[in-house]
Amino acid sequence: MKALLLILKNLRRNKLRTTLTALAVIVMVVLCTEAATVLFWVHQHVHTQACQSKLLVSERWVAPSCIPTRYLALLTHQEGVEDWTLWNLYTGYLDTSRQSSRKGFGLATRPDNLIAMHLGLEKLDPAAVEALQREKTGAIVSADLMQQMNWKVGQQFTVLSSSHPHKDLRFKIVGVLPPGEYVRNFFFRQDYYEEGTGNKETITCVWLRLRDAETAQRVASRIQKQFQHSQPELKVETESAGVARFVSREQALLSVLKWVVAVLVLDMAIVLSNSISVATRERRVEMAVLKVLGFEPVVIMALVVGEAMLLGAVSGFVGAALAWLSSTLAVHGFLPSNPATRIFFSFPIQAAMVLWGALLGALVGFMGSIVPAWNAWQVKVSDVFAKIA
Amino acid sequence: MSAQPLIVVDNVAKEYMRGSERIVVLRDVNLEIAAADFVALIGPSGSGKTTLLNLIAGLDQPTSGRIWFDGLEISKLDEARLARWRTNAVGFVFQFFHLIPVLTAYENVELPLLLLNLTARRRREQVLMALDLVGLSHRLHHRPGQLSGGEQQRVGIARALVTDPKLIVADEPTGDLDHVKSGEILDLLQSLQQELQKTILLVTHDPAAAARARRVLRIDKGTLVEDRSMHSGRFRLFEWTVQ
Repeated sequence: MKALLLILKNLRRNKLRTTLTALAVIVMVVLCTEAATVLFWVHQHVHTQACQSKLLVSERWVAPSCIPTRYLALLTHQEGVEDWTLWNLYTGYLDTSRQSSRKGFGLATRPDNLIAMHLGLEKLDPAAVEALQREKTGAIVSADLMQQMNWKVGQQFTVLSSSHPHKDLRFKIVGVLPPGEYVRNFFFRQDYYEEGTGNKETITCVWLRLRDAETAQRVASRIQKQFQHSQPELKVETESAGVARFVSREQALLSVLKWVVAVLVLDMAIVLSNSISVATRERRVEMAVLKVLGFEPVVIMALVVGEAMLLGAVSGFVGAALAWLSSTLAVHGFLPSNPATRIFFSFPIQAAMVLWGALLGALVGFMGSIVPAWNAWQVKVSDVFAKIA
Repeated sequence: MSAQPLIVVDNVAKEYMRGSERIVVLRDVNLEIAAADFVALIGPSGSGKTTLLNLIAGLDQPTSGRIWFDGLEISKLDEARLARWRTNAVGFVFQFFHLIPVLTAYENVELPLLLLNLTARRRREQVLMALDLVGLSHRLHHRPGQLSGGEQQRVGIARALVTDPKLIVADEPTGDLDHVKSGEILDLLQSLQQELQKTILLVTHDPAAAARARRVLRIDKGTLVEDRSMHSGRFRLFEWTVQ
């Protein structure tokens, strides 16, 4: 208790330095928390949520893929297929400004099994699905788009189509997608797509749900074989592989992100180490006095490490709490949607990250204090007093 | 005075290496100091008096020779055991006081007691007693920056006393004080020796300070060259001295 008091008094000794060090750590923990959340989300998405027993069928060589509708029956009647859905991509501008930041990506699909067939829609309100089934022009829109366009449920909007020129469609909002999974997307009915665009000939991709992963592998190779020499040729992959492929496109970005986290942690350790080193150097005589009074070197070392860890933990806690608060405010619509805050919508930060921030800060404090603590350990009483004399 | 000496320095030498050069600071020092004695260690700068004081107080280890304190050979102890031994056996008074600036007078004096297994109440009693002894009961919650030089040195003396050590070593304790304050501090050290039977080892350049001691050791070029017994110095019982 007394040691903690001494540490606190030491931290208060140079308030400006302590505040600046804490601010540096807070900023870095905010960035680290964001980056770690993105990495965690991607990892969980690829390795945990994405399903090995769900197949994504698309055209092999063309993007965006165009599968003839006549293939659909051949695909969905494969032995072992338990359920299926399809996507038709419909892209366009959401207002007349035609800015790319105000673009939406519509996915025409079957409404009846919307929740069952889509990753991340488990929390979607079933009432929204029912409304979509009733309302032919209905659309269930991402929280991000709702926020950005300041839309309300029940309102209508028109998409100035870029994927289907001169085929602008008008939609009525019947529900909002849960935050996280779909950022700039909206789901609408396949029959409305066919009617509105006149395209009944092709589909972008087909999703098949199989009994298990083994069946999925078997069906995948059967479909590939079956459509090997057809025109167009098909490509089949599991949902997890599909997500991984998507992620692999962003692999360079993710690698950079990992390095950013590592550099931030190292940077935090250096900032803390520098600050604690200066403080230790300033207090060499006091440490020598403590040794003279009978404090063992390990106790003096512990005081230095404790000071850095306390500063790191408190700053880390504050930094992570700020990141979590921003994320929570954004998700609940208390922050304006703009490129700076969009990351909070896309990757909501969990409350547990606050504890993670404190632990990270403490760990960084420990790393940063190793050298100064070692120097404090090495303080030789006779040398210090000889220099003073 | 006890027949058994409190401190025995047996053929002690201390050398340092400066690059490839060997510096001999102390050579063949033999010395005995009785309990409750007041010994002044004098000599020119660089003669080795602070080095000898550091060795006797367990702050440094001799290159050769042995040092005994109250029957314990301290020259054999490792750093951690020496630290524990110092807490109980030796009180230190420094020229520049060396108080912790962020702590109050009370907290500075309490510091050595934190290393002992004492209750908070017992610690408080001992701190108050030590501060009362040096006449600073009214300055408990002042920080060093709020105290005069003389008061800071009194806090330093209270900190040296608070664990009730047998030996108090004082390295130029009046070196940073004016004539009047120096006199007060020396009076205080003298009363500690006479009233509380503390053994005082005082390193000083000041002949007036050395004159307070009962025994004066002169050291020159690392060798003890003079060992002189003095008359009892003047003694005054201050109003703050514990009855």
